[in-house]
Amino acid sequence: MLQQSAFGAPGADSNPIVVEGLSKTYQVTDREGGFGAAVRSFVKRKFRDVKAVQNVSFRIGQGEIVGFLGPNGAGKTTTLKMLAGLLHPTSGSAKVLGFTPWERNSGYLRSMTLVMGQRNRLSWDIPAADSFLLNQAIYRISDADYKRVFDELNELLDLAPIIRKPVRNLSLGERMKCELAASLLHRPAVLFLDEPTIGLDISAQVRIRAFLKEYNRRSGATILLTSHYMADVTALCERIIIIHHGQTKYDGKLVDLSRRIAPFKLIGVTLGDCADCDLSRYGTVVPGEGSEDAGKHSVQVKADEVAAITARMLAELPVVDLTIEDPPIEDVIERAFHE
Amino acid sequence: MYILKLFSTFLKVNLQQDLAYRADAIVNMVMSVIGTGWDLLGLSIIFANTKEIGGWGPSELIALMGVWRLVNVMMATIVWPNTEKFNTGVRDGSLDYTFLQPVNSQLLISITRMVVWRVFDFAIAVALIIAGMTSGNVITSPPLVAAFLALTFSGAAIIYSLWITLISFTFWFTKFDNSVTIMAALMDAGRYPAQVYPYWLRALITFIIPIAVATTVPLQALRGELMGWQIIGFLVIGAAAVFLSSRVWKAGVRRYSGASS
Amino acid sequence: MFAIYKRLWLVNWAEQWQYRANLLMYLAFWLVSPIVYLAVWTTIANAQGSINGFTAPDFVAYYMMLLIVDIATSDITIHIFGYKIMDGSLSNELILPIHPVLMKVLVNNLAFKALQMMALAPIWLILYVLYQPVFAITVTHVLLAIPAIALGFMLQFFAGATITCIAFWTTRVWSISDFYSNIFRLLAGQFVPLALLPAFMQSASQVLPFRLALYFPVQLLLGKLSLEETLLDLGLQVVWCVILFVLFRLVWRAGLKKYAAVGA
Repeated sequence: MLQQSAFGAPGADSNPIVVEGLSKTYQVTDREGGFGAAVRSFVKRKFRDVKAVQNVSFRIGQGEIVGFLGPNGAGKTTTLKMLAGLLHPTSGSAKVLGFTPWERNSGYLRSMTLVMGQRNRLSWDIPAADSFLLNQAIYRISDADYKRVFDELNELLDLAPIIRKPVRNLSLGERMKCELAASLLHRPAVLFLDEPTIGLDISAQVRIRAFLKEYNRRSGATILLTSHYMADVTALCERIIIIHHGQTKYDGKLVDLSRRIAPFKLIGVTLGDCADCDLSRYGTVVPGEGSEDAGKHSVQVKADEVAAITARMLAELPVVDLTIEDPPIEDVIERAFHE
Repeated sequence: MYILKLFSTFLKVNLQQDLAYRADAIVNMVMSVIGTGWDLLGLSIIFANTKEIGGWGPSELIALMGVWRLVNVMMATIVWPNTEKFNTGVRDGSLDYTFLQPVNSQLLISITRMVVWRVFDFAIAVALIIAGMTSGNVITSPPLVAAFLALTFSGAAIIYSLWITLISFTFWFTKFDNSVTIMAALMDAGRYPAQVYPYWLRALITFIIPIAVATTVPLQALRGELMGWQIIGFLVIGAAAVFLSSRVWKAGVRRYSGASS
Repeated sequence: MFAIYKRLWLVNWAEQWQYRANLLMYLAFWLVSPIVYLAVWTTIANAQGSINGFTAPDFVAYYMMLLIVDIATSDITIHIFGYKIMDGSLSNELILPIHPVLMKVLVNNLAFKALQMMALAPIWLILYVLYQPVFAITVTHVLLAIPAIALGFMLQFFAGATITCIAFWTTRVWSISDFYSNIFRLLAGQFVPLALLPAFMQSASQVLPFRLALYFPVQLLLGKLSLEETLLDLGLQVVWCVILFVLFRLVWRAGLKKYAAVGA
């Protein structure tokens, strides 16, 4: 029912998003503090190049949900803005649904959407329902189509109780639901989401994630999202692209990354009475992961040695309880940033 | 047509917003009437001391006040509320959403917020114009009235274009978000016929912030003081202003999006 | 206590300096009206020779002096403080150990004023060259004008602060402020010298304090007042300052009670 609008330009690559060698360099004025420097800069300005995005390339297939990760200032938002057509790149190319985004073709703008967490598209003083009406007029959505889409969004997001209130009276979670709904009324084929769950409480985050997953399932829309919350990434993205200092560091499945960068497992073992037990014989003891007074410890071992080491531990130590876990995804990704 | 439907939807939504604050709207309408009262009081003080100023009598001044109010209505309905929205959008980045929508961005920033109850002010302005034209000894004729209306419309278009140009400057000078204030400050100079002012003020409000072109000039046409070529000239300037300001806006948007040009 | 004022001054001055481009814009508001009225009345005076004894040069001198005194005695409290009451940011000010209005806003006003005067100076000099006003000014006048202007400002400050307090009860404080400005324009002599107003308005202006905030210092500096009149008006300024100060305190206290009851 929530099928996305038809593809754009004819002869388009079957991948909705194709990025090749995309780069964006900013020129910022280089100025130190102090009065003397201020006077000098008035006469002769010094510029500095900031390479926000360097030679980024990737392809995203239809219906994929891809996580776009990186520390602050890595170039995620800049890349997203270029793909949304808000920024012109310095070099390189990108084609989304066959369109070049920064040409801001009307056909393109009607097939995509960008939602930025904490930045409101909805008018503050009027009820969200009125903003929806404006969007209907702007995107030229017929009454029949609008009703169909709205009913579905209402079912998924439970909008009815909140859309008649002025937006400024809504909670952050409610506001985000309305923002998402407003941006999906025209059934875009591509969604760009910049930190959509930022600032929301846990239950709101969970709801938004569930919505996005279901929406993607029903409509087949392609989603590219950035986030700082690992829960977003693990819940939604099979594939992630890691970007740091404007360059792609990794592009592939999340589980593969884990295996590649951190081929470890964490064995959490709870010991009974054991005064002279030395766990370092089995692997690297990770301090602070367990509560040592209760006899809990965490030992990091290579993934392919888990079975053997576990067997030894069970044989040689007074084990009360034992768990085997993957390393936390935050650590994995953090490590990937610094490769 | 699409633009018409778009405009009427924006009008409807803005009207609903005004109606939500019904009490405020009513108070504002009352203040408009009182404000007109103050203005007329000022005029009466002037004409208690003289029969005419700059060659114009009380009826012309009342019609001039009406035309001035018309320009003021446009400022209050469209310019001031949307300037605030625009500046906020630049500051917090939500201006990006304007460029994401498949509608001309200049149109969007002009109609996003319209203070619809000001149609009441519009009515007062028209009433003043008619009162001024029909009372006293303003000798006029249909072609002159037509020229008067055309120049009033063209004058408002020039002021609108000036506004677009000024807010476009924010794209280049982000700290300079207050330039529209100078328009508001000079508005007062449009209350009286420009010939009363010293040459430098006259030049300022004719060529730089052309309030006089929006207020004095239409009245001059009504009184038959303008020649045909002058009327055509002003209309051409109006059209040129609209065209040029939209190019400035487009250039500003290109700069905002980092296009190399 | 003085140290607090000094510190506030330095901070405010630095802040105002940051926004100096905006300042120039705001200066236009103060300049345009007097010049417009000057043009109107001199045109009439030139056409008729004189109006009620006022010649064109009289008007020129009047409005040129008014340009300075108006900025010197004006109050911007409603613009810098009104919104704080209405959007709740007043709460941040109330926890400070200094009075938000009597100290912070006052110094804010003064810093803004100082910058305005600085910006006005070159413009006023240009206008002086263009208009060639003739002033009959003496040292005595200037000395007496100092308290006259200071008190005139305090008058406007207390009045403005009281009006701003209306924001505690209604968001329509701007309409009331507009209304006040309109009355002030007529009865304080911004629009035209009071002698040219209709009789009933002149009587009103004698009774109300507006004249004392602006018209009185202007007339004093133009040399139009005798020593007795000057001293009398200075005394009246003091009286009105006290009245308005007391009024402000009452309204402020009542307003705070309402603010605290409703919650920020």
